[in-house]
Amino acid sequence: MNRSEIAISVISKIAGISPQSITLEMELVADLDMDSAKALELLVELEDRFDVEIDDESAAKLNTVGDVLATIDSIEIPTT
Amino acid sequence: MSDIFTGLPNDLRELVRRAAIDHADHGITIFDGRGRRSERRSYSELVELATTAAARFDALGVGPGEPVMVALPTSWEWLEAWLGLLFCGALPVASSGATGLAAAETQLGKVDQVMGAIGARHVVTSEGFRDQAVAGDFTRAADGVITPDELRSATPTLGFNPPTVSADEVAFLQLTSGSTGLPRAVMITHRGAVHNPAASTEGLSGQMHAPVQDWADCMVSWLPLYHDMGLIGCLLLPFLVGYELRLLRPQTFLARPMLWLRELGSNGRTFSPAPNFGYQLCVERFKPQQLEGVDLSNFKIANTGAEMVRPETADAFVEAFSPYGFTPEAFLPCYGLAEATLAVTFDQEGKGVRTLPAPEGTDAGFAMTEVVSVGRPIRDTRLKIVAPDGRELGGDAVGEVCINGPGIFAGYYRDEEAPAESLIGDWYHTGDLGFLHDDELYLTGRIKDVLIVRGHNLMPDEIERLADGVTGGGGLRRSAAFSVARGAAGEEPVLVVEADPGELDRLDQTAREIKIQVGRALGLPLADVVFVRRGRIPRTTSGKMQRSEVRKRYVDGTLEVIGGQKLEGENVRKQGG
Repeated sequence: MNRSEIAISVISKIAGISPQSITLEMELVADLDMDSAKALELLVELEDRFDVEIDDESAAKLNTVGDVLATIDSIEIPTT
Repeated sequence: MSDIFTGLPNDLRELVRRAAIDHADHGITIFDGRGRRSERRSYSELVELATTAAARFDALGVGPGEPVMVALPTSWEWLEAWLGLLFCGALPVASSGATGLAAAETQLGKVDQVMGAIGARHVVTSEGFRDQAVAGDFTRAADGVITPDELRSATPTLGFNPPTVSADEVAFLQLTSGSTGLPRAVMITHRGAVHNPAASTEGLSGQMHAPVQDWADCMVSWLPLYHDMGLIGCLLLPFLVGYELRLLRPQTFLARPMLWLRELGSNGRTFSPAPNFGYQLCVERFKPQQLEGVDLSNFKIANTGAEMVRPETADAFVEAFSPYGFTPEAFLPCYGLAEATLAVTFDQEGKGVRTLPAPEGTDAGFAMTEVVSVGRPIRDTRLKIVAPDGRELGGDAVGEVCINGPGIFAGYYRDEEAPAESLIGDWYHTGDLGFLHDDELYLTGRIKDVLIVRGHNLMPDEIERLADGVTGGGGLRRSAAFSVARGAAGEEPVLVVEADPGELDRLDQTAREIKIQVGRALGLPLADVVFVRRGRIPRTTSGKMQRSEVRKRYVDGTLEVIGGQKLEGENVRKQGG
């Protein structure tokens, strides 16, 4: 799985919907029903999967699924 | 003053200083944002830090009695700033800063507005907040920033001698939701700030029927320090008792609730307060692999308050966590609010969550068949239940809960008219509904229009303004926000919007656009957006919207809905499963 696929699978698990029905335009709160607890669970789960830290300023700008994927793409991920 | 004050100081600063002397070997451990690293300091180190910070604030020109905002996450920087301001004689005002997810702009705007309303020149906050304030053109906030680094690099005033205070002087301001969405600053006196934790230690006698310090050694808290339950209950009370204190950020708990339980199960005999949704979240996110070796028989006091206590949540929590040693008797319901400093009542039976069948008059929108005893008033505090005409009601009759006692606030800062609505004589009219049975309080609903969603207090205006922005409403055309509960998950926000017949084909789009605006600005998923014909949201003869009436019709099914019903995830949720 590439980064985007991993991120989509994490979103799918937390939002409780199938990965196939997730589109880039979907809003985390309005469409995927993520309250602050779910949104934070998502953030930490992504950080764990990719072994990165997403700072608060970047996190505050995440509105859509597309925003999440773009952020994950832009972060340098440590090679192990 | 009563004898509980014997030996207790009249100055909150003195209460903090004594912790350093009386509990020299105890201290506070604060976790970082992800709950991975922590740093512990003793109470004496903390007092030293605060004393120096006070002299630094003085050097920076912060004067006695001046309100200064603190918008930082739970951290050593927060404690240094808040206590430093208290020690220098200024009025610390804790506020939520950027919470790390969505809504940054909304929070920033609020800090900026509050600064204007209370006349605060400064806000202690991060460099990142300053950058955002500059970018967002919040000039008041941007110009007033003092960062923790700037504070530490200020040369302390040599021989700084903070002013003495009397018990009736204001010690700090506590922000609470105001009727229009802009927070109000509750003035808490030194007397209230010392009395309330002291009376609470006695009220929290629980199943051991002994003051709380005799049967727990450590408090673990994830409650925000800008909330009354976090500040009074989880900081000032530990200072008084000398608890070992372990602080997590609220976001850390929301991301990983099991971390809280791990801490509670591995630090001796522990005590922690949380709103109902915190216990509910633990049940929803139960992860056995994260609880290996955790002994929750150590979790002696599971204080529950700050929102409706739901018996089904307590049952589910017991079922999930009794295999780890958690005992139902550890649950200790309570009732409190910022205008009472914090605590008003505690359950003092020590038998866990006790209920009565919900009486007639219980709010149907809360979906409760049973109501929970939140116990008896703490020392020196009295309760009465009144009818809408002000007449005092007898036992078992549902009416507005009114309180009287030394913790009652001294008014709202720079807002002299507001308390007149709620402070009548010596009695504070809470806007909560309930009844007394055997001198114990049971809550059944509320009159005030506040929404309490997963521990967050929100005023309906905050949602309605965003909706009106989408529909062009706000004048003759209205929208009404309120919350209803459908089960253990607690209250969920619902919005009713007025629409014209010509718009019927666009209602789904309008609803989604509203959900997006509310989601982005408040980080809050609306459970339901429904439309009614223009003019169908009831108003009083003077034109004031009657939200409670809309809510009643929504709940009992008599609201004439013309569209948009239950669009909650219907395209999304049902497919995955």
